[in-house]
Amino acid sequence: MKYVCKRILMLLVTMVIVSFLAFAAFDLISGSPAEIMLGTQATPDRVAELEAQLGLDRPFLVRYVSWLAGFFTGDLGTSYSYSQPVWELIAPKVGITLWLSLISFVLIAVVSVPVGLWASRGRSRLGDAVGTVLDQLCMAVPPFFTGILLSWLFSITLHWFVHGQFPDLGTDPAGALQYLFFAAVAIAIPRIAMTVRMLRSTIQGEMRKDYVRTAISRGNDRSGVLWHHVLRNALVPVVTFLAQTMAEIVAASIVVEQVFAIPGLGRLLVASISNRDYPVVQAIVVILAFWVVLAGTAADILNQRIDPRLRLGGAS
Amino acid sequence: MRRRMNGYLLAGLIVTGLMAALILLGLVWTPYDPDALMAGPKLEGPSLAHWLGTDSFGRDIFSRVLRGAGTTFLIALSTVAIGAVCGTAVGACTGYFGGVIDEVLMRFNDAMTAFPSILLALVLISILGPGNKYNVVIALGLVFIPSFARVTRTAFAALRDVNYVKSARLMGASSGRILVRQILPNTMQVLLPALTIGFNNAVLAEASMSYLGIGVTPPDASLGYMLSEAQGMLTSAPWYALGTGGTIVLLIFGVGLIGEGLQRRDGEVA
Repeated sequence: MKYVCKRILMLLVTMVIVSFLAFAAFDLISGSPAEIMLGTQATPDRVAELEAQLGLDRPFLVRYVSWLAGFFTGDLGTSYSYSQPVWELIAPKVGITLWLSLISFVLIAVVSVPVGLWASRGRSRLGDAVGTVLDQLCMAVPPFFTGILLSWLFSITLHWFVHGQFPDLGTDPAGALQYLFFAAVAIAIPRIAMTVRMLRSTIQGEMRKDYVRTAISRGNDRSGVLWHHVLRNALVPVVTFLAQTMAEIVAASIVVEQVFAIPGLGRLLVASISNRDYPVVQAIVVILAFWVVLAGTAADILNQRIDPRLRLGGAS
Repeated sequence: MRRRMNGYLLAGLIVTGLMAALILLGLVWTPYDPDALMAGPKLEGPSLAHWLGTDSFGRDIFSRVLRGAGTTFLIALSTVAIGAVCGTAVGACTGYFGGVIDEVLMRFNDAMTAFPSILLALVLISILGPGNKYNVVIALGLVFIPSFARVTRTAFAALRDVNYVKSARLMGASSGRILVRQILPNTMQVLLPALTIGFNNAVLAEASMSYLGIGVTPPDASLGYMLSEAQGMLTSAPWYALGTGGTIVLLIFGVGLIGEGLQRRDGEVA
């Protein structure tokens, strides 16, 4: 419990640093938002008036704290290009991106663990070579290319979903999730290849250890040792790896949302970067980073449950 | 340690060598002008005259892919160069000297690597200004520094107190000489595979950003931008997407095999 609290505290500290960096970086470059909003024709008086209205005449730290508080009160400022509160713009899209990353994550975990276990049994040179080449090939396919191929196959050829018509998550959840599933497959394929590879080398490394030899020499069969002894030891690095995968999923979803025309955070982020709509970019960056850091925290807490040695180390 | 070829290394070198040769050729000569409209009939499938077919403007896709792959390749090389040189320098100093700077930089590094690299690159690109190839190189180069720093730091810290370094120090070699002449050659085992991974991530990141329209934009050709163009012609010219995407896959696949071969040769994890 003590460890959990400590870990959550670390999460909060990381988020404060991340949000501060995001705020400072954009504050530094964006110049005066009032000037951007009013255009080049603005008189200095009008700019000053709008700055006071937006609260931009306050000191930097005061603005940062009030912006940070905005994540809880829902007041994250106004978008330059849509002239709409940032929160209103973001809120409907958060769920879509979260669902997309969750489906991808489940897909990766559900597929790669059995495949990795199966692959770690293979000992023949040919099987090893075929597996490695296949693995490298899957890793080489960029998610947006897979996405294009999938939309070509399932949308244009088979008509399983209509590309570009994302069903509303509230009124047609089944349709929306089905749509997201194809995008999740595109995200998952290279990550599955990486996880399988990682799982395989972890298990094979573990199987070479002394305790495995002892267990086998005492008359246990290989699969018994694998299930009862090796798996639990191999789990810790795998959980850590899967949590790091969350960062990759978020990164890939930014691009894949564009491929499938999914109206999520990633698409809004890209549009906002092109429009130099910094309030929106800032907010989305912090939300996505929070999601990634949260996954890392959850993995650490889970690992500490799995491995008692970590519990001792963490409690000190 | 026996250093010899293995199948993966050889296959990777062949694939990458062929790709590099084609790309170099594409820098000086392409079968058709990549931007010439009506170089052939519109929307024609692959043929002997047009190896990868033509797009809806009658442009030769093979020529376009060659040109685009060149940009992607050069950007990936320069970003890896920036990331590797700066990252190795940072990692070497912090790993070798240790101390407070080491702690601070590594904590900062941890925070950076927790970030998805594309997200970080997007933030940098939006600060530097989107749609310019030099900004893409700077943004991606900066993004790749932490991962190289982390890898080299571990290697340099591990070799800090081995006997040959100690004896070099006793003989009065300067720190700089020890770092470059004694330790650096012995970190190649981890540095080379890291370079291949870095290169592949750079190719992916550049192609992703250009696909999104905030990386390399016309008139510069890029595989990522071409793929977004190809997506619009998916029904009429599917070979455009296949040719462009296939090139990215081959580029990454070849270098990935080299990385695999290097790791196996040096007896790292299989």
